[in-house]
Order: sequence, then structure tokens, then C-alpha cells
Amino acid sequence: MGLGSFIYRELSPILKEMAPYIPGEFFPNYFLIEYFQRPLIASVIVALVAGFLGTFLLIRNLALIGDGLAHVSFGAIVIGLIFGGIGPLWWALILSVIAAILIDQLQTHGILTGDAAIAIFMTGMLGLGLVLMRVWGGTATRDAEGYLYGDILLVNSQSFDIIVTVCIIGYFSMLLLYHSLLSISIDPIAAKIQGLPVGSVRLYFSVITAAIVVSMVQIVGALLVTALLVAPAATAQLLGKSFRSCVILAQIIGVITVILGLFFSAEYDTGSGSMIALVAASIFVLIAILQLVKNSIIKPNEN
Amino acid sequence: MIEDINLSIACGEFIGIVGPNGGGKSTLIMTILGILKPKSGSVKIYNQLPLSKGVTGKVGWVPQTASKLPTNVHITVKEFITLGTLNKNSLFLPLKKERLSVKKIIQTVGLEEYANTRITHLSGGQRQRAAIGKALASDADLILMDEPMVGVDRDSRNSIMKLLDGLCHEQNKTIVMISHDLTSIKQTVHRMVYLEEKIKFDGLTVDFPGLSDLARLRGIEPTHQETDLGGTNYQGNESIITLVPGRIGEE
Repeated sequence: MGLGSFIYRELSPILKEMAPYIPGEFFPNYFLIEYFQRPLIASVIVALVAGFLGTFLLIRNLALIGDGLAHVSFGAIVIGLIFGGIGPLWWALILSVIAAILIDQLQTHGILTGDAAIAIFMTGMLGLGLVLMRVWGGTATRDAEGYLYGDILLVNSQSFDIIVTVCIIGYFSMLLLYHSLLSISIDPIAAKIQGLPVGSVRLYFSVITAAIVVSMVQIVGALLVTALLVAPAATAQLLGKSFRSCVILAQIIGVITVILGLFFSAEYDTGSGSMIALVAASIFVLIAILQLVKNSIIKPNEN
Repeated sequence: MIEDINLSIACGEFIGIVGPNGGGKSTLIMTILGILKPKSGSVKIYNQLPLSKGVTGKVGWVPQTASKLPTNVHITVKEFITLGTLNKNSLFLPLKKERLSVKKIIQTVGLEEYANTRITHLSGGQRQRAAIGKALASDADLILMDEPMVGVDRDSRNSIMKLLDGLCHEQNKTIVMISHDLTSIKQTVHRMVYLEEKIKFDGLTVDFPGLSDLARLRGIEPTHQETDLGGTNYQGNESIITLVPGRIGEE
């Protein structure tokens, strides 16, 4: 019995009790029926960890790495769907972590600078996935599309276990290394002089980013992972006064985003990933406009 | 490339390293810190190699980029200085003892009222104080600084120099500072090192050569003969740039 089953067993009765108070025609089913409860719990957990990770990605100017690794995971998932063996999420986890380590090494050793390494892995694996799907796809094509745009019904008890375990390990290890990660993000040379193991922490960060991105793929889809990774963190930066408040706000905004996203996708029968991405971007735009209005009222003379 | 570097720095000294751009000041300091490896010869800090376990906690570093900290990081002064407490043995959350020392350091660098302000909202001088605070937070005895006065206004420059002087005399810190601002560095440091590919002067500040001696030291010959001070054939020509008295520059 895994961590996922434990979390599910603890939370399921609480969700059932909440169901009568939940608005909407279809959305209360997310709180009542086992089939939907898992995706709901997974979405909230993924949102928390994505907000946390996203804040660090933004300060390291790595907003795009989530997108890159998600595309790598899509290629891996198609391999998993066609060739089987271990489940598709396991394929994604293994290949994305390998890609993340290679990208980190290529950048560290100056073989490829900037986003070039990310771009090569991203398009290469996406291309592989699409080719495999066309040649051997068959019935796997429908499932593969779910991974591309996000389909919460892909979350079954096995993948729920993987998602929850990855997210919990990711969350607590980031909490533990919070100051080291921040220090390295702001000034890696100063961090090295202080004696921090800069290379190892960077590598850890790449690996955990890959794992967390994979955990998000079923819910928001490989094409839309960045929405949940970057938008709540960016919105939090508009509001936060300190780094800590940005981290906390990004998680709160992330949870609000997925709940609203799931609500609208349930009520209007749209894909979960696309609706979550739309809500994430809408919240950002709304807050950005409010901030602009606020700034122009408070400081009308400043440019 | 700098060569023939023979330099030893004693505990409690306040040293200014000066020299032209490209003269090797940053290379020297990066080599002392262990970020660059010497091609030959060796560097020892407290009798150990730079970056070795016994050294990292004792060395504080104030980078040249302090005045250009990333603007996308919404980090407060307190959070920023706290990062200085991290070292090999405490990668994780700072302990209570370290949180107390951060509070004290914020006082030392005179930023109490800005403790919860974002560093991007500070002036150049305040940001520099925050960077010095971060270096002090590691409880460092040796502090190395790369151009700490860049982007700092006159009043802040004076107060930062006083702060550094206090650290040196009252807390017995050793400070090595790179600067191209000869006048303000001469007011503060005890010893000066002039670096231009090699060390061309190393001695007490009072013995530092004047401008013409410095030019001779650097091998720069006067362009104009003493009888012909710069050629005066422009006199009577039409002005091509005219400034009307007023205020210019950013507030």
C-alpha cells in the first residue's frame, strides 16, 4: 500500500462530507465518486507543489524548462503506451529525469548555453512521440492525446500513487533546501564561496523539476504544464512583499486555479488541462490589471 | 593574465586593491576566493586551500553585482541577509542562533527600518549595505569586496566607509577591497596594492604615489612637451556642444 492510498483513505470521507455544500450540477461528483475524488486530490497536491517549484523557476529564469521536460515526458509516455512494460508515467519519470540531468550537464559544462539544450530535448522527444503514435499508435492514440492536453480521468489508483509520492517528496525536499536553493538562484558564486554544494543542489533541482513536471502531465497535459507551473508563481510575484510570501501565495493561487479550472471543466464539459490553463492566465491578467490601476491611482506621476 | 604575485595579508588589515580596468583586480580576488585556480603558484587562506572546509565559513564575499541584484527576485533585506548564514554544515533552515545574528547584523549595517523591504526597492547605498550584511552573516573574519562603491551616492559612500572602518578596528575583521575610486579608498584603507598585470605598488596608504609618480610607475609618458600644454589651436573656434546651467541626471 502506497502513500497515495493512505492519503486517499484519509481524505475521501472528508470530501464526501463536503459534497452537499459544493456548487454546480456535475462538480459535486468530484467530492462524492471515487473515480473523480482521486483526480481532485491529485490536482490540489500538484498545484501546491507546482506553485512552490514555479517560484524558484521564475527567479532562475527557467520558466521554459517545465515546458521542455513536459514535452520530453510526452515522448516517453507514448513509448510507454505502445511498448508497455512499466506504466507510461514510469517511462516519463525515468526519461524526463535523464533528460533533466543531461540538460544540466550540457549547460554546466558550457557545451550548450541558454535554452538550446532544452529546445533540442523538447522537440526531439515530442517528435519521437508523434512519430511513434503515427506508426504504431492504434488505440494508444486517444490516451496519448489525453496526456497532451490533460485528462483527469487518466488518474487511476496507480498513477495517483506516483503523483502523490513524487509531489510529497518534492515538496518536503524543496522546503528543506529552501534557503540553499534561493541562495544559489540569486548568486551561485557567493553560494560556492559560502561552501554550499552548488553543483549537487542544481542537479537535485533539475531532477525534482523533471519528476514534478511528470506528476502534472495527466492533470494539465504536456502542452499546458507551464500554465500551472508559471502563472500562479507570476501572479504571486505581483502581490508578494517577500520571497516567502510569494512562495505561499503561489501555492494558494495554484489551488484556487485548479479548483476553479476543474469546476468550469466539469460544468461546461471541457478538458481539465485547457480550462486550468485558461483560469491560470485569466487570474494573472486580472491581478495584473488591478495592480496597474492601483499603481496609476496611488502614484499617478510615476512612469 | 597576471604574474609575479607575491602578496600576504595579515589579520586585521584593511587593504585596497586599485588599478585600471583589465589590470587583473577581479582575477586576483577570484583566485583568492578559489573560484579561479592559479596557473602556477598557490593561494593559502588560514593555511588552507581556498574553498576548503575550514575556510568557507571564515570568508565573506561582497560581489560587484551587489548593486545589480536580479530585479525579478522579490526578496526582503532580512531574507537576503539570512542567506549569508548558510554554509556546508547548515544547508537547511537557519537555526535560532543564526536568526538572532541576522537581527544584529541588520542593526550593524544600519538597515533596521528596511528589514522587511524588498532589496529591489532600496537605494544603491542601502543595497550595498545589505550585501555587506550578507557577507557578515557567515560570521566571516575575512571580507573580500569587488567595487563596493559602484552605484553608491556620496553620503552613502562615506557612511559605508565608516562602517567598514568600524568592522576593521572594532571587530578586528580583515578587509580586502577592490576599487577604482582612488580618492575614497585612500581615505580609509591602511595599505594599498596597485595592480596592472603585476603588482606595481604595495605599501602603506601614506606612501602611495601621487598622480605623476603613478603615471611613471605605469610607464605612461607625457604626451605634450612642457612648453606646449596640449595645443591651443582650438581657441576661437565655434562651440559644438553648449550646456545651459540647470539640473541633469536622474533624481
